[in-house]
Amino acid sequence: MANTAAVRSKDPSGSTDTPAEKFAELRTLLVGPEQRQLSALQTSLNDPVAQARAVSRVLPTALELRTNDPHLRRALAPTIEEAISASVRRNPRPLADALFPIIGPAIRKAIATTLSGMLESLNTTLEHSLSWRSLRWRLDARRTGKSFAEIVLLNTLVYRVEQVFLIHRPSGLLLQHLTLSGTSAQDADMVSGMLTAIRDFVQDSFKVSDDEGLQTVKVGELSVWIEQGPHALLAVVVRGTAPAALRGTLQQALEGVQAQYADFLESFDGDAAKFEGARPLLEACLQQQFRARDRPVRRSSMLRILAAILVLALGLWMFLAVRARARWSGYIQALGAEPGIVVVSTDREGWKYVVNGLRDPLARDPASLLPMHNLETDDVVGRWQLYQALHPSLVLARARQLLGPPAGADLEFNDGLLRAVGSAPVEWIEASARIAPVLPGVTRFDATRPIDEARRTLAASIEAAAPLFVKGTTTFTDGGEQIVRDQIARLHSLDALGRVGNLQFTLELIGQADADGVPEANQPLSEQRAARVLGMLQAQRFEHVAIRATGIGSREADPTATEASKQRNRRVSFRVARAAEGR
Amino acid sequence: MLGGSGVGKTSLVSRFVSSLFSDKYLTTVGVKVDKKTVAIDSGEMTLMLWDIYGQDEFQTVRDSYLRGASGYLLVADGTRSATLDTATALQQKAESVAGRVPFLLLLNKADLEPDWQVNERALWKLAEQGWHVLKTSAKTGAGVDDAFARLAREMAAV
Repeated sequence: MANTAAVRSKDPSGSTDTPAEKFAELRTLLVGPEQRQLSALQTSLNDPVAQARAVSRVLPTALELRTNDPHLRRALAPTIEEAISASVRRNPRPLADALFPIIGPAIRKAIATTLSGMLESLNTTLEHSLSWRSLRWRLDARRTGKSFAEIVLLNTLVYRVEQVFLIHRPSGLLLQHLTLSGTSAQDADMVSGMLTAIRDFVQDSFKVSDDEGLQTVKVGELSVWIEQGPHALLAVVVRGTAPAALRGTLQQALEGVQAQYADFLESFDGDAAKFEGARPLLEACLQQQFRARDRPVRRSSMLRILAAILVLALGLWMFLAVRARARWSGYIQALGAEPGIVVVSTDREGWKYVVNGLRDPLARDPASLLPMHNLETDDVVGRWQLYQALHPSLVLARARQLLGPPAGADLEFNDGLLRAVGSAPVEWIEASARIAPVLPGVTRFDATRPIDEARRTLAASIEAAAPLFVKGTTTFTDGGEQIVRDQIARLHSLDALGRVGNLQFTLELIGQADADGVPEANQPLSEQRAARVLGMLQAQRFEHVAIRATGIGSREADPTATEASKQRNRRVSFRVARAAEGR
Repeated sequence: MLGGSGVGKTSLVSRFVSSLFSDKYLTTVGVKVDKKTVAIDSGEMTLMLWDIYGQDEFQTVRDSYLRGASGYLLVADGTRSATLDTATALQQKAESVAGRVPFLLLLNKADLEPDWQVNERALWKLAEQGWHVLKTSAKTGAGVDDAFARLAREMAAV
């Protein structure tokens, strides 16, 4: 206060302000507004809220102005990445909801693409599994040692882009590498390095300008197509023959990469992860094309398979039908050739064959012929009417059946003549002679040989038998009458033979006496003895045996014979002869 | 890998990449690219190694092979002093084409050091110029991994 009081003094105007106060007032008058503005500005600068408010007013405009500034992008990228990461960690839902409209279609598209690829692969497999071409390819695969899928690919593929390399042009370092699924790839980094070295070598060796350069490298069925941009190379590995239009695709992809990643390419520091976003652009280069003619086959392949199956089935059916027909025809032909069987008609009843005809009871059973023609009994219905066939074999069989030749005899048949052969009893001969002519087919019956045989046998047996007489009488010795009765039976047989064979026989009864006595007594005695036997025979009726009796006395007797011999001389002998022969 | 003919560039790469060494000498034709990943402080670094044919009186290294290099190794044969001069010339060429990128000078064939003919004074002069000189032996493997690791660290530091 004292100091202040010492300073204060009156100015001419009468003001009591100090010079400092006056100066301050002057300053206020002169720069007051500016000072207030500065103060307000300082307050604003020191106040974060005020500062933020000020920046917020210009921030949108500033961002708009720096949209294409790579520095701004680089500056904001870490912050945005961290913000997204923090958001996902705190609550992933908002980000998932935001991405859902994009992720959903992308997932569906990926699934659809995968399924489509699987179906196409399955279709291709089916197409080529049953065709002649596929069989040829399978043989090629076995011969060359390659897989069937590889052979199919080689034969159906037009071209296919198998690998895509995005390379930093100055350094030759690999930025991105894509491969088609199912293809193998070498170390992509080394491939890109060598590709760059080769490209540089060619450029230097052939003195081409920097804008020109190696565009294609061809090795076997592979070729490497190269497109170059200002800072990057795009190299693709192609299998097959690609159209020139592929280069346009590569150029388009490279231009897209160049446009979106120009800054990164110019200032590339070796970090290839920054080019991950370029993969969709590069995926457009992974193209492939198959032969056009295979596509129509896909649609009709099933029809072809069905048609092939139908043709096979039809062929099989026809084969079976023809074979069955052939077997049936063979059977019918065999039946027709069989004696005693006449096929009148054939028919079908459902799946069964029917044959109608005539059959001799003695003919072969038609069913026995079925196995020889590979026919089943159940497949054939035979309707046979009985009849008597006149086939020689059947006539003979029937004759044998009816006549029943005894042992030692048989029948022969030829041209209506039924002939008995061998030896047979007279009774059989007589019965056969009676029955044979009525047999169907038999016009004559000839039993000459058995008749002759029987005649000789009978004659022998008749001539072997001789009744003996008591000495000097016409009385039979013991058994003499029986002998005569036996002779009568034989003579009846002989008579029957004569009747059957239309023969006439003569029977001579020769009476004899022994040498004892006088011839004048023996002669009449022998005649009486013969008459005695004749009397017994004449009681019978013989139509084919003429009997006469004679006596020869003792002309044939031996005077020196023993009594036994003399007894045998006292007999009646029988002599049989055919009437034509006469004895 | 830059250097004269027969100094051991290919052997060094073979030792570093495949841990292999062969006494058989086959001159490199053109360039051969190899790859190896090394661990550095900040993580891993994949090195694309361009093994370039040796420069001699018959052939010179093409500029195109040097373009884009992030670093290089100059290789000289300790038993032949002339290869040091070649390495010096190649360094100038590399710097003019690739720019000031990290490099090291490797004196190879350290296993034959008793037979070395390299001028020590020349080495001092190079060191004074800021060159980093390391002794290596592709045959024994001595110093090989260290050389590549050091170059990788220097390239990462750029």
